[in-house]
Amino acid sequence: MKIKDQVKTKYRLSLQQDAIDEQPQQAGFEGGGADRSRVERRTFLKMAGFTVGAGLSWGCTRGGDRKLVPYLVAPEEVVPGRPYWYASVCGACPAGCGVLAKNLDGRPVKLEGNPDHPISQGGLCAIGQASVLALYDAKRLKAPFNRGQESDWSIVDQEISTEIERLVASGAKVRFLTDSCLGPTDSHIIEQFLDRFDDGRLVIYDSISSSAIADAHALSHGIRAVPRYHFEKADFIVSFDADFLGTWISPVEYTRGYRAGRRFDGELRAFSHHTQFESHLSLTGSNADQRVVVRPGGMRAAVAHLADTVARRLGKKVLSSDLPESGVEQTVMDDICKRLTTHRPGRALIVSGENDRQIQLIVNHLNEMLGAYDAGVVDLEQASLQRRGDDRALLELRDEMARGEVDALFIRGVNPVYDLPFGQELAAAMEGTALVVSFSDQHNETAEHAAFVCPEPHFLESWSDSEPVQGVFAIRQPVLRPIGNSRTMMESLARWTGVSAEARDIIRDSWRQRVFPRAADGATFRQFWDKTLHDGWTEVARDAVESAYDAGALAGLNLRPQAEPKSLVAVTHASMAVFDGRHAHNAWLHEMPDPITKMTWDNFAAIATATAREHGLQTGDEVRLTTPDGVALTLPVLVQPGLHGNAIAVALGYGRKGTDRFTAIGPRWLEGTPTIEEGGMIGANAAPLIRIVDGNLQFSGRAVTLEATGVKRPVGCTQQHHSLYIPERLAIEENERRDIVRETTVIALKTESAHGEHGHDEHLSLWEEHAMPDHHWGLSVDLNACTGCSACVVSCQAENNIPVVGRDEVVRSREMHWMRIDRYYAGENEDIDVVFMPMMCQHCDNAPCETVCPVQATAQSAEGLNQQIYNRCVGTRYCANNCPYKVRRFNWFNYPKEDRLQNLALNPDVTIRTRGVMEKCSLCVQRIQYAKIESKRQGRPITDGEIEPACAQSCPAKAIVFGDLNDPESRLVRANQDPRQYQVLAELGVKPVVSYLKKVRNRTESGGSDERS
Amino acid sequence: MRSNLLRIILLVSILLASVSLVISARRVNLPGVDTGYQPVQPIAYSHRLHAGELAIPCQYCHYAAEKSRRAGVPAASICMNCHSFVTASLGALREEEKAAKAEGREMKPIESPELRKLYDALGLGLDLKPDPSKEMEPIVWTRVHDLPDFAYFDHRPHVAAMVACQSCHGPVETMERVRQEASLTMGWCVKCHRNNSERTVSGRPVKAPLDCATCHF
Repeated sequence: MKIKDQVKTKYRLSLQQDAIDEQPQQAGFEGGGADRSRVERRTFLKMAGFTVGAGLSWGCTRGGDRKLVPYLVAPEEVVPGRPYWYASVCGACPAGCGVLAKNLDGRPVKLEGNPDHPISQGGLCAIGQASVLALYDAKRLKAPFNRGQESDWSIVDQEISTEIERLVASGAKVRFLTDSCLGPTDSHIIEQFLDRFDDGRLVIYDSISSSAIADAHALSHGIRAVPRYHFEKADFIVSFDADFLGTWISPVEYTRGYRAGRRFDGELRAFSHHTQFESHLSLTGSNADQRVVVRPGGMRAAVAHLADTVARRLGKKVLSSDLPESGVEQTVMDDICKRLTTHRPGRALIVSGENDRQIQLIVNHLNEMLGAYDAGVVDLEQASLQRRGDDRALLELRDEMARGEVDALFIRGVNPVYDLPFGQELAAAMEGTALVVSFSDQHNETAEHAAFVCPEPHFLESWSDSEPVQGVFAIRQPVLRPIGNSRTMMESLARWTGVSAEARDIIRDSWRQRVFPRAADGATFRQFWDKTLHDGWTEVARDAVESAYDAGALAGLNLRPQAEPKSLVAVTHASMAVFDGRHAHNAWLHEMPDPITKMTWDNFAAIATATAREHGLQTGDEVRLTTPDGVALTLPVLVQPGLHGNAIAVALGYGRKGTDRFTAIGPRWLEGTPTIEEGGMIGANAAPLIRIVDGNLQFSGRAVTLEATGVKRPVGCTQQHHSLYIPERLAIEENERRDIVRETTVIALKTESAHGEHGHDEHLSLWEEHAMPDHHWGLSVDLNACTGCSACVVSCQAENNIPVVGRDEVVRSREMHWMRIDRYYAGENEDIDVVFMPMMCQHCDNAPCETVCPVQATAQSAEGLNQQIYNRCVGTRYCANNCPYKVRRFNWFNYPKEDRLQNLALNPDVTIRTRGVMEKCSLCVQRIQYAKIESKRQGRPITDGEIEPACAQSCPAKAIVFGDLNDPESRLVRANQDPRQYQVLAELGVKPVVSYLKKVRNRTESGGSDERS
Repeated sequence: MRSNLLRIILLVSILLASVSLVISARRVNLPGVDTGYQPVQPIAYSHRLHAGELAIPCQYCHYAAEKSRRAGVPAASICMNCHSFVTASLGALREEEKAAKAEGREMKPIESPELRKLYDALGLGLDLKPDPSKEMEPIVWTRVHDLPDFAYFDHRPHVAAMVACQSCHGPVETMERVRQEASLTMGWCVKCHRNNSERTVSGRPVKAPLDCATCHF
């Protein structure tokens, strides 16, 4: 029945309607009839649609408001949003490199080396780059602590002042313990402070001590100082375990000097020869032309043998006719001697990093014979102040403290309870000392035992000064208002002696009295101060230094070997990441792969391949190292070629208290494991392995026994990640070994350049050439200059907001560094060659990644850059798959950014990438953009060298050159004309704009071959 | 009966929807586009008066546009360049002058209530000198023109190329309260970059880049 008929009668409708409802649906009904559910659904959808539409149009408003808060009173010289650069001095280690701090919107976000500063010369090491992160550390103490309780300055000052008065009155013994990170004003203030006491003494010690060098010079030259080494003046460098390119004294300065002596700019001018004697593989050793592996403990004999060989050749007196054997063949010594003595005198430099007075005396003797002092290669006239430690004074302090004689101890910049082998004894003695004041900015191992902790601000937020070498002065100015209520040591000391002065005024006074009078140029103090503040440094007249070599110093030389020849010996060394442990709270440094071993987030026992075979150990197996006197360390093993069979190398600086702050670093997800468990420590403290021998801290020589614990530890080693090699099962025959790294020798180069050979391949291309009329940006990496220090890696991380992923993610090959340093070995066991290759996005003209992106998130720019557009990327990851260089990094997670203080270290000029987005080296496009815009604004073309990506800028050796391939005058184009130029995997036809220059070794045969000399 | 009810409901909802659409359809924006946004600001600053009537150049206050990515909002100290002695409008001053003459007294110093907000922010008292009992409180303006964080717009090359401020910000000198005239979408930017030869004030051709990395890095 049709509905229409039923409408007529109401009652019948309802009854009949009910009857119809109960009937099953009949065939033949039209649509839109009795099938109520179909009508209802459609109507419902229509209604829903309209309601939603109405609601949307009415309710669709914009998101939350953004606020703009300008200054109330605008500073005259500051334009908001524009970066300003302030010259300061890095305080991350005692080397005292001058830096330029980039201040953006009122806070520093990046450090760069000051190009004019004589120590840094524009470069800055990885540790310096990472120190901007340490500035924004929320765990730094923000107020003084009084016996473990947070207090305020008025109370603390009151108590300490009273105590000091009491000490002055009672003729107390007061000791001030600090390290070489001590500016001239700080030294003066401390001396003034200690003068008030009957027995006040400043004790300086360096945890990575070079005290023996100074002691030896005191005996041999009458001056107790570490000289300034001029590597650029040396044609022949022989280093006995001095890691001068890595961690020894002033690596940025020495790298620059070393590089200057090994330059091949199309023409060979001078190319130094570098021989390294060492027991473990250090960064410097991996760069040496000749590397002699010496038994640990055999260094004394080795130096003595060389000295006597040279002496015999030069007709001078030998040290002894009966030297103990060194394990090094005499032919090797003869060879080196020939090199050192054949050429004109004064071109050789012998250095040693061993903190052993005997070795240093022999080294001085050698340098004297070879005329290094006279030629100024070893400069005592402008001696270094970067290592002023005195081990004997330190040991004297230890004894005094043990006897309970010290009434007051002030500790600044050092952590003796942690980094000295007798740290625990010192801690116990500190508990019994009347007044112990620590100036540390954390509750570190030493500050725990201090009654008062008076935190100092970070070097970027305080005034100070520095004198890295005699006569060169620099001012450290703050780039930020202090975060937290900390106070510099000089202000604290002034306050405790009743003077209320600000650090800036104290320094100005000090300079006016002691530095300005030595300045020669006739300016007023105001002009002098302003100029120094602007430039970052100044040089003033120094007192003449009289030094004469006294051969009598060699009398009574002890040439006994430092360790038994047959046992396993521990060799401890500073870490290139955390130095001596003072940077153990810096996530960037922990994640930076160690240059040699490529390990992250841990220290380990490095053992030789032979030792590993003997004990059946593999990388990752945990071992316990024990010494006869009860020191025990548990560490994972790393099988390291290049080590002497007896050596077990362990890095210092790990096992620091407070490293369990990294529990939550990195993403938290189902299968993720924390980097360190609650209450744990990253690595193990190797300081107990340090010995005291003859009044010096000895960093190697302790006999250890090795036993496996059976536990396997995950090792975050990045070397196997992102490999450019094809796995054998996928390779066509003969194609597995690609010549990614190429090297040559000086002799080969000389012949090649004479013949004008170029090994460039021309490939046919299916693709049309991109037209790049304006600029065509490119990069050149000189493998000869690159030492592998990884400053570029951390600089890139700082500039581009690269997240820290934590150990677990590194184990899964997911470290986010855009720039990596690949390290390749050639050779086996002890006798290996190492090459470092910085690898970043090659910005290929025919990029394999661009063609496969489904959304065109990566595209070629009109200037040759391979752009990565984060907001367009959908995370297909095909591009990373296609990249032959494996330089693309995927954001697997939203890396934690909850620490709002630490977020201030982010660079606002670079997008923060979210989960699911691919990223890679952009050639610092934000810097390119900045330079282009500035040039447009100023109406001038871009000059060559104006744009420097973060990596190129930070490199101490200036190995990376950025430039415009369209500009024939640019340094880049000239570098590309170098016969050494090649491109990695050029045979793939991708046309990268990054070129490499072959590594040059000063040998007769190239590396990897059996003939090396 | 039910179908009738349904029809009625349908009709009403269509009516409501069209009414609301008409009301809000003065400007229908796609998500993320804020054309027409004209928020209320903490101080009723009038660009019509300052930039239009008084003809103060844009870069007198927004000086950062020339040297920085962001033009920014001027600091209160810039306002005080004039308003340290201009405390009320000319009309109000004339009124006070008339009233004073009528009542046979001296002119009282008068302040516009909006300017009083500025003086309060700077912690100034009635005599326009710093009042120690007052706290300085920065003025919190509401941002009108905004771009997402992954787009790095930079004013400098546009100012250097002499693109008129009005090309993108509209006739600000006629606005009592600033509103967003242009859509500021990427398509809108790219269109001008493609046709830039017609757009510059100076008439000289410029080369506005079309690379993605110009703005996205």
